[in-house]
Amino acid sequence: MIRFDKVFLRYDTGISLRDLNFTIDKDEFVYLYGDSGSGKSSILKMIYMDMFPNAGTVDVLGADSSNIKRRDIAMIRQKIGMVFQDFHLLSDRDIYSNIALPLEIQGAKADEVRSKVTSKADELGIRSRLSHYPHELSAGEQQRVALARAIVNSPDILLADEPIAHLDAKAAADVVRYIWKIHDAGTSVVFATHNETLLKKDPARTMTLVSGEVVKDRQL
Amino acid sequence: MKLSYIIREGIIGIKRSRMPFMISVFSVTIALLIVGLGVLAVDNSLQFIGEFQADYDLEIFLENEATTFEKTELAAIVKDYPGIFRMDYLSKEDAAALYNAEFGEDVLSLLDDNPLPSSFRITFEDDHRSADYILTFIQNMNELDGVDEVIFKKDLFNRVQGIMQLVYTVATITLFLIILSTVFLTANNLRLMILARYEFIETVRLLGASDFLVKAPFFLEGGILGFLGASLSVLLIILAEYGIKYYVHLDLPVKIIDHPEVILGLILFGVSLSSLGVLKAVRKMLRFVA
Ligand SMILES: Nc1ncnc2c1ncn2[C@@H]1O[C@H](COP(=O)(O)OP(=O)(O)OP(=O)(O)O)[C@@H](O)[C@H]1O
Ligand SMILES: [Mg+2]
Repeated sequence: MIRFDKVFLRYDTGISLRDLNFTIDKDEFVYLYGDSGSGKSSILKMIYMDMFPNAGTVDVLGADSSNIKRRDIAMIRQKIGMVFQDFHLLSDRDIYSNIALPLEIQGAKADEVRSKVTSKADELGIRSRLSHYPHELSAGEQQRVALARAIVNSPDILLADEPIAHLDAKAAADVVRYIWKIHDAGTSVVFATHNETLLKKDPARTMTLVSGEVVKDRQL
Repeated sequence: MKLSYIIREGIIGIKRSRMPFMISVFSVTIALLIVGLGVLAVDNSLQFIGEFQADYDLEIFLENEATTFEKTELAAIVKDYPGIFRMDYLSKEDAAALYNAEFGEDVLSLLDDNPLPSSFRITFEDDHRSADYILTFIQNMNELDGVDEVIFKKDLFNRVQGIMQLVYTVATITLFLIILSTVFLTANNLRLMILARYEFIETVRLLGASDFLVKAPFFLEGGILGFLGASLSVLLIILAEYGIKYYVHLDLPVKIIDHPEVILGLILFGVSLSSLGVLKAVRKMLRFVA
């Protein structure tokens, strides 16, 4: 489903990822674990085709990063839900419209949009925030909005970049449980985190990153 | 349907960027106002030059011994000839009176018989006033019985034609430069408008919108913008025409209101100018978004 083959990524500031080789299969739950700056977001961006390797290839859902067309990038993204580390919410739209956006891009009908948006908002405890604007929400609430938007169209893969970074222990536990539920319903999950206790509480395959290299890939 | 997405996003886009939108509408208005007024000014001055030109194109002189019957027949033939705008008959007496008026001398006092021939004065329709067409006409007329000579006011004709050509050339170049700069100014303004929407473009692209889907609402927005701007400019031109009529008491020979094709042209120009301008700006921005 996702395959990295001899992947190198270089920023202007220097090499950020070196020699990545791994596969993530359908129905897997994988933690990307590492300190700040170790390269977690960069890996997710490459899976999302927001960034392309300087060497090697990234294969996602049958699409090859070395020769993918812009059109197909859009198609791939419609099958992937991404919780961005910096949320990427539209500041001039209410929460409802933000969550609805992926559905609308895919041309869903109005009542389908309404039922899906409200049910996800319910499940994530942000129903009462639907008519608010992003700047009126706490960071934790915005994070849950970002998650709701990522899963609203039932993607094949969920990429979550530090999805509980701004949550207190109780809310974090709720969100993690929720992501596991999505996984159990048949979505592959790649979960970037620097939170060690999380790995102990909800263990899963863990890829440990240090300075842009995978130093450990521990299967359960 | 995605169509509903495109329409809704187009309208949301207009509401969200109301100020830049209005500014862009006015920039299109001003651009087309200049273009429209330019076209009208050229057409009107050409019309004035046209009026200044001799009030007829050529004169068919009839033989002295032509009978009334022959003259009537000739008149019928000339009248039916395609492309004739106007035909006036000048009798021998009319010619004498004209001679008198022009030279202050009575031609009848010099000679006991009136030597001046009767004639037809012909004016062609504008779109038949080409040299080829008129020369053919002269050849045909010369073959008819009763025609003595056809005199073409060629010199004057050529001179006026020359002036018109010059006015046309200068006006075309000027208009072209004006259009170029308005296109440039409008495009720049639209770029600024789109720049403010970077967040939206980046986000929907990240959420899986194809380039087409990103561009479509902007294209629609540009079309609406151009339509409003162009309509406003047409409205202002019509108002200006009325203003000139009532306050300057000058009834322009060429008015936009009598030329739906010019109105249509301006609106089409406005719509394509701004929708393509917007499209270009978005395309440029998409290059920065994976
Ligand atoms: N746009 C960029 N330009 C230059 N260097 C970058 C850019 N983005 C990331 N980097 C560098 O690449 C390396 C990996 O960054 P990345 O964002 O993938 O780390 P991360 O593991 O997600 O960190 P964090 O936990 O802080 O989010 C870092 O050294 C970072 O400085
Ligand atoms: Mg990161």
